Amino acid sequence: MVFVFCGVVSGISLTLEEALPIMVGDSMQPRVFPIFLMALIAVLNVALIVQILGRPLPRRLWEPRQTWVSALLLGVFYLLTENVDIILALIAVMFTLCLVWGERRLWVAALVAVGTTVAIFFSFDLLLEVRFPRGLFTDWYYG
Amino acid sequence: MDPVAAITVLTTIYVSATFAGSITAILINTPGTAAAAATCLDGFPLAQRGEAGRALGIAVVASTIGGIFSVIVLAIGAPLLARVAYEFRPPEYFALTVFGLSMLASISEGGSVKNLMGGLFGVWLATIGADATTGVERFMFGNYELYQGLNFIPVLVGMFALSELLVQSTRLNQIMEQISMKAVKLPSMADYKKIWKTVLRSCGIGTFIGILPAEGATVASMIGYSEAKRWSKTPEEFGKGAVEGVAGAEAANNAATGGAMVPTMVLGIPGSGTTAVILVGLLVHGLRPGPHLFTEQIDKVYSIFGAMLVANIMFFALGLFAAKLFARVTLVPSGILWPIVFAFSVLGAYSLAQSMIDVYIALAFGVIGYLFRRFGFAIAPVAIGLILGEMVETNLQNSLKMFDGQWWQIPLQPLAAFFLILAVLGISQPYIFSALKRRKDKKQGS
Repeated sequence: MVFVFCGVVSGISLTLEEALPIMVGDSMQPRVFPIFLMALIAVLNVALIVQILGRPLPRRLWEPRQTWVSALLLGVFYLLTENVDIILALIAVMFTLCLVWGERRLWVAALVAVGTTVAIFFSFDLLLEVRFPRGLFTDWYYG
Repeated sequence: MDPVAAITVLTTIYVSATFAGSITAILINTPGTAAAAATCLDGFPLAQRGEAGRALGIAVVASTIGGIFSVIVLAIGAPLLARVAYEFRPPEYFALTVFGLSMLASISEGGSVKNLMGGLFGVWLATIGADATTGVERFMFGNYELYQGLNFIPVLVGMFALSELLVQSTRLNQIMEQISMKAVKLPSMADYKKIWKTVLRSCGIGTFIGILPAEGATVASMIGYSEAKRWSKTPEEFGKGAVEGVAGAEAANNAATGGAMVPTMVLGIPGSGTTAVILVGLLVHGLRPGPHLFTEQIDKVYSIFGAMLVANIMFFALGLFAAKLFARVTLVPSGILWPIVFAFSVLGAYSLAQSMIDVYIALAFGVIGYLFRRFGFAIAPVAIGLILGEMVETNLQNSLKMFDGQWWQIPLQPLAAFFLILAVLGISQPYIFSALKRRKDKKQGS
């Protein structure tokens, strides 16, 4: 995986445009430094492989269901903010997170999700004057 | 927010959290911060013996002394170091940042090779965006919001807060043993007699370790603890509830807080993962860390030092009277606490530049940070690498320009050579120590 990453980054670096010689002077082109870094990471990865060679590989257990769902919810949050609204996305994801993480009482999950989001929204909007991106709820609120 | 107020908030959280980590370490055998891991070793056995109040009292006193000592060192040492730093040119800065990165090899989490890989990954992240000298776009894939590079805040929010959320989700079924406690007790005269040498030693160790770039409270507390054991008249008590163990670890980790602020403020090189966040706070609020900070904005610098001193005194009072209350935070169900953390994290990432790309960066780095930790990589090196990245590259470019492309001139500069030698020692230090330990064990065996 690390070698693939280094290869891909180095490959992309080689496609970067070259800066005018007058700007670079006797220094290095912008593509050189990332390639140098990737070479160092690859060398260190070889050292890591040498270190663990011969040792039994640690047995890795699968992540529990909650971890998968929590990671998935990060993706759901992205989709909802892009397509619906950041505030509504936050309420939906917080509500689901509460339930996934073991909260049994629906009203508590709903209270945490709505209460926290509303409190943060108004404190950000009124006190810190932070404007949230347009979406279903913010369109209605900002008018 | 006023820069001093903002940095005061950050530094106060920093020094208080370093102490507060010991509360859960002592009461539920779970360090609140990595720096409190050494406190568990003797703090929890003391609590199991029904002496939780005594253990917390010793932790409070040792932490306060360690913290105040390090702030005094910071106030005296930082301006002196700033004077020296005026002499630094690009080759010296380049060598110094390389030294900072090399010290990642010896931070306690992960392994030295993994930490260096993490640091280099962080440096690579800093190359995303337009090259500072030529303006050539790198790894932006047409996304012009990345033109000025990755914002530090969303990356740090993702790496630290959101990855922690995923890590915590793997621990939902763990049952913790909790110790009840009546009140925090101040140490008795007998306790003071037993711990004063340990506390003083740990103050020195913690401050010194803190000053080293990239080393922080975690390493300091481990060394403070092991030195306390080495010098103790009763080393056999360690691990079973030795008060010197608690004092040694706590004085050292809080002494590292002031020490870690020295390279952060004087050189712009974070002394630890946490000071990396404070460094970003300084930058966000228009304070440019470096020697010039001590001439151009000296009033702000001393306000920050003063705030750290007050914070250390405040947590003494709060630690004594409210530790029991704070410990109740651990009783908030994860199902309520972590969704709230999630909300603050994503909106915090958004609010800095009011840009959705920052939210997506935080989400992405939440998963990346989790994968790092899952495969045994520490995340602090990535944060430190990201912050040092631009400094490394820009100073290398400027050095090459200075010497007409003759890179070998860099190690020929005396100060740069000094830092590069330290860097080599920094990288080889874990191997030297393990070789020495093997030799010692072999000798003892035969």
